[in-house]
Amino acid sequence: MLRRMLLELRNVGVAIGARTVLSNINMKVDSRELHVLIGPNGSGKTSLLNAIMGIKPYEVVNGQVIFMDVDVTREPPHLKARRGIAIAHQLPPVLKGIVAGKFADELVRRYGVMKIYVDTLLETLDVRYLLDRYLFDKMSGGERKRLEMFLTLLVRPKVALLDEPDSGVDIDSVEKMSNAIKVALNSGGSVVLVTHSLHMIKLLRDHIKFVHVLYGGTIIHSGLYDEVVPTIEKHGLSGALSRLVGGTH
Amino acid sequence: MNRDEVLKALTKPSPHGPDVDLSRFDIGSQTPETVDERGVERITERLGFGSQVFRRVDYLQVNESIVAKAMSEKLVKYGAVVLPTYEALRKLDWATSYSWRLIEPTVDKYTAASYLYGREYGFFIYVPPGTKVREPIYTCLFITKKNYAQLLHNIVVVDEGAELNLITGCGVPDQPTKSLHVGISEFYVGRGAKLTYTMIHAWAPDMVVRPRTAVDVHEGGEYVSYYVIYSPVESLQTYPKVYLRDRAKTTLNSVVVGTGSSIYDVGSAIILKGRESSGEILSRNLGRENSAIYARSRIEGVVGPSRGHIECLGLVDGPNAVIESLPEISSSTPEAVLTHEAAIGKISEDQISYLMSKGFSEEEARAAIIKGFLSIEEPKLPHQIMEIIKRTIEYIASRATG
Repeated sequence: MLRRMLLELRNVGVAIGARTVLSNINMKVDSRELHVLIGPNGSGKTSLLNAIMGIKPYEVVNGQVIFMDVDVTREPPHLKARRGIAIAHQLPPVLKGIVAGKFADELVRRYGVMKIYVDTLLETLDVRYLLDRYLFDKMSGGERKRLEMFLTLLVRPKVALLDEPDSGVDIDSVEKMSNAIKVALNSGGSVVLVTHSLHMIKLLRDHIKFVHVLYGGTIIHSGLYDEVVPTIEKHGLSGALSRLVGGTH
Repeated sequence: MNRDEVLKALTKPSPHGPDVDLSRFDIGSQTPETVDERGVERITERLGFGSQVFRRVDYLQVNESIVAKAMSEKLVKYGAVVLPTYEALRKLDWATSYSWRLIEPTVDKYTAASYLYGREYGFFIYVPPGTKVREPIYTCLFITKKNYAQLLHNIVVVDEGAELNLITGCGVPDQPTKSLHVGISEFYVGRGAKLTYTMIHAWAPDMVVRPRTAVDVHEGGEYVSYYVIYSPVESLQTYPKVYLRDRAKTTLNSVVVGTGSSIYDVGSAIILKGRESSGEILSRNLGRENSAIYARSRIEGVVGPSRGHIECLGLVDGPNAVIESLPEISSSTPEAVLTHEAAIGKISEDQISYLMSKGFSEEEARAAIIKGFLSIEEPKLPHQIMEIIKRTIEYIASRATG
């Protein structure tokens, strides 16, 4: 009997309107796995996560997104969220009037999360003091990113898609978010982490299943941490690209 | 007051809002009536008061019938007075000094009609010095008759160091009435006193509504108001004015939800007449369907140092809805610091996408955004009143998504 994969991308192509931005993307994510997507600006990392989630204007125009054996390619984001896919946005919008704590309470109610898990995340990400503020209003870059990660992991997703949580934030916040990712993995979730910095990847080294290198709208290499990261460290991301082309697990 | 001058003012339009021919309404006739209890129940539901609150209403006027339920027993322990205005003016010599003092009968045709034909219906509330009335006082002014003109005169006096939380619901059942509501409200907040005033309106598409309000806040006093209108009207125009003396302060909150083909001309003005006075106007306007909202706000700095701020936000959520935001700040003293911010936009796709990615359906996302937009956090309002406002906002948000 074939083993059931949590999330599988089969030859996925993504377009924004008439413009194709990604093609032939294949990836398999199993339970409790951490996959890292790395690539230069404009390589399509954000587009891929948004397309998996079904967020407009990103559209899967080819291939399939399979989640727990169900083809969810065309499902709207809220149904995917209810199935257990969550996304942490790179730039979450300000929602004045929606108090972060009340919003979190609503998510806890909808998804039936245990209080101890909520408290663990609150402490790990150090966001308790943000709960009486409006969502993302008057917050620093680090506060926004940490709060968004909290709200994403809070629902105990089966798979969390994290879009550059480490961009534009201080080292302290990167460490807190890395610890939160470990909490999510330890509690049974899987994570697809998009980043273009090595700092967070190094912090999560022991948990990473594969590092996927995205370039020019497709995955040019998927490999283990020890194959990919030292090459990038040695040659820089752009220098590593030509050396990594072709190798895929 | 020279009666001839007031008679002349019967043809004087208001500077704002559509002019209305008052001969459309049955003004001045006195016809006996029986109270339509089902209509009253329906209005109460529409106001979000619920039956529990309704049982505790202190002053209820339906058309011209006054059903002043619990008011005397509840308030007598405070030494407070709650009476129909005509009765207060007849029984209490001193009450007349508060009548038509802040609002001239000649301001426009609506004040003139109220002065000439209103027969001083409405409520009179007096809170003695140092008396803090803990429970909110509920007053309800309902219309169930057709082509009727409800002309009211409300006077509230909160004497030195006293406190009062007043909540007023005005409305009609959701059926045609083609009536007119004019409420003249004169509020006096004594030295170091505090008045919080919440008004919720639930009208119908054929209603003409013209409240006229003025507030005099004495030294160190505070006036906080919260106004919500979410029903359609033919037209509604109001422009309360708050005069602040030394160290007096005020916050004026308004939430206007435009529906149908209604015209809402809702303003507020603060006049900083005293040293170290301060005022804030916060308005949220949601334009839906074919409605037009004119959100006026003005702060005048007359004496300094003083401070004033206007925050006026609009959300256009319908292809034919219109919102005009008209903030004004004016100062005749260099010591007044006055600021304003105004913004009008639509519900952003990013916000909807964000909430959908957290598991909200598109309708739920829109409702949550609207609810958030309309929610003005007003920590100075008592818990019970915030609960009513919260229920009302939730009701609006649930209806806003169809």
